[in-house]
Amino acid sequence: MANKHSNGGGGISRRSLLRGAGALTAAGWVAGFSGGWILRPSRAFGAAPIKFGVATDITGAIAPSGNSNWQVIQLAAKKINDAGGIGGRPIELYLEDTASDPKVAVGNVLKLIQQHKVDVVVGGITSAMREAIKNPIVRRGKTLYLYPQLYEGQECTEHLYCTGPTPAQQCDELIPYLMNTLGKKRFAMPSANYRWPQLLNKYARALIEKNGGEVVFEEYYPLDQLEYSATVAKIKSEGVDCVFNTVIPPGLQAFTKQLYESGFQKDGGAHTCVYFDENSVNYVPERELEGVFTCLDYFHTVDDPVGAQLQKEYAEMFPGTKYLFTAGSAATGAYRAVKFYEAAVKKTGGDLSREAVSAAIDDVAITDVPGGDSRMVPGTGHCALNMYVAQAKGGSYEILSSANMVAPQECG
Amino acid sequence: MDVAVKLIFDVLAFSSIMVLVVLGLAVIASMMGIFNLGHGEFVLLGAYTVYIFREMGLPEWTGMLAAPFLVAIAGLVIEIAFIRRLYASPVIAMLATFAIGLIIRELIRVLIGGQYYAIDEPVPGSVSLLGVDVSAWRAIIIFLTGALMVACFLFLTRTSFGLQIRGALENPGLARASGVSTTRLYAFTFAFGAALAGLAGALMVPLFSLSADLGVRFLVQAFLSVMLGGVGTFEGPILGSAVIGAMVPGFQWLREIPLFGIMVGDLIQPIVAEVLVFIVALVIVKFRPDGFITKGRI
Repeated sequence: MANKHSNGGGGISRRSLLRGAGALTAAGWVAGFSGGWILRPSRAFGAAPIKFGVATDITGAIAPSGNSNWQVIQLAAKKINDAGGIGGRPIELYLEDTASDPKVAVGNVLKLIQQHKVDVVVGGITSAMREAIKNPIVRRGKTLYLYPQLYEGQECTEHLYCTGPTPAQQCDELIPYLMNTLGKKRFAMPSANYRWPQLLNKYARALIEKNGGEVVFEEYYPLDQLEYSATVAKIKSEGVDCVFNTVIPPGLQAFTKQLYESGFQKDGGAHTCVYFDENSVNYVPERELEGVFTCLDYFHTVDDPVGAQLQKEYAEMFPGTKYLFTAGSAATGAYRAVKFYEAAVKKTGGDLSREAVSAAIDDVAITDVPGGDSRMVPGTGHCALNMYVAQAKGGSYEILSSANMVAPQECG
Repeated sequence: MDVAVKLIFDVLAFSSIMVLVVLGLAVIASMMGIFNLGHGEFVLLGAYTVYIFREMGLPEWTGMLAAPFLVAIAGLVIEIAFIRRLYASPVIAMLATFAIGLIIRELIRVLIGGQYYAIDEPVPGSVSLLGVDVSAWRAIIIFLTGALMVACFLFLTRTSFGLQIRGALENPGLARASGVSTTRLYAFTFAFGAALAGLAGALMVPLFSLSADLGVRFLVQAFLSVMLGGVGTFEGPILGSAVIGAMVPGFQWLREIPLFGIMVGDLIQPIVAEVLVFIVALVIVKFRPDGFITKGRI
């Protein structure tokens, strides 16, 4: 089927293209003719493998998140295979790069479905990406799709399961904390111009207004805008005391730099961004992240023996990696996706048909995942999660408050 | 007052970046009659140099210092190997620069693994200017651009080499007849234009982030600047780029100012403001097809 790549292949090849990503350092890689990558289990199994498709952003503006997703999925698959697979069947991973670009992604995702005929697809990080690939996977491809990232909600497509937090899970803890504990009242919502910020802002705005606060402005910028001086000046001149930031890379770097240089945080302003986590230093310098507030389903600082053990194994599998196992990058969601799928296939007794797995996954619980147990809320395609409000302090996140098994409040 | 200082500073800062990018493009266009479609990639090479130096463990400023020289060498090699053979047919030469640009861009995309990298500025944080906090690095860029303008102007008007350049610009045939090697001069000019682009890329990369598409982002605006300013003069493109550079943050600022009792911001969304820059520039070009400055060459 293909040529075997050794470590450190020379010349300009797909291999060296991905070298910067550092994602393929694991041995045992086989390159398909069509591009994409297959990771086979390291030992022989008697039963046929379960084909697990991964479609994530290995290159492009949000590659640091995509690579951490991919590495975490490798860890999850390895752990399952080492323990004997799912009902004796190993997981075989098929990777396609969605390249942070929905136009490129659709073609690559179709390869997973049509050529490799995978049993399930995990992937997509931005909502623009999910929107682009969900139809090829779920409708045309008739394949189960697991989406790992925090997102804007209202995704109720059948056979599509969301394993990341929803606006209710992220905002219901965070915004009352910002307003009632920190006393923030005047909010600004600088945002990237696409679906996630628009719907998240709508939810957050309702909460802010309910708690007696005010949204001074809510603005949407092109994703690659470089100039935010007028926005930052307005934040200062309007007396905004909390910036609810939903700008994403590549515009994010310019925005955070300009906000930081204006002295907003230094003067006591709160900067909030609900996808910021330990992995964010791959996007933004640490000093600009200092003091940022966020709310996610896991942080390295959460008192969680399961998470600590997984972090240790992750570090052993990918020594020195800069792509961290974190929540805001969708990596915890990706890990949960694999575990939910494992639990569902165990329940079906090895039946991999979409309808059977979908019916089973609708009501499963998982335990050994970072951040605490999680379970699917039946009939919603979303899961209940433990949520933690945290603040960046010297590169790690200090947990300020937490809530157990927060309901997703979607599609119910 | 505070707002005015901030507005002027931000407009100046972005204009400075545009001027740096455009100057190299304009020098080559004026001299050889070629629009260098690979100019954005010279900007990218400058930014990439800073990244390489950082990866080698050297501080960012060493990369910024080296960038114009290394990119100049790259420009010189490209001129000698390709461009010089194509001066007789400017359209082919333009296509060649496009191809070279594409090769550089995709090569760098491979080298950086298709990723985006944040690069720190050598002077981080903010400084106080008339009681307003402004970005220290942007202030340095404004200062360096100003100094470079003066240096370029003096070089072109006060040195004998500058005289040769102006002569070759005005009348290449006569310059050759007078014993000026235009071949050598063109090679130098091309390298000089590349050096300016390299410097622009190296200085601005901390403000944004390094990716293979960094140069392309500026190329269209740079072309508009040259068209707006007029080819063949020194001040024209500088003025053109200053105007384009001012419009990018300018329209965002315009949204914050009430006009006839209505907030402009309610009418112009940020996403429209980006497009408006091009519309205004094209309207100006329509009415002044030769650019702002058509006479008074240096």
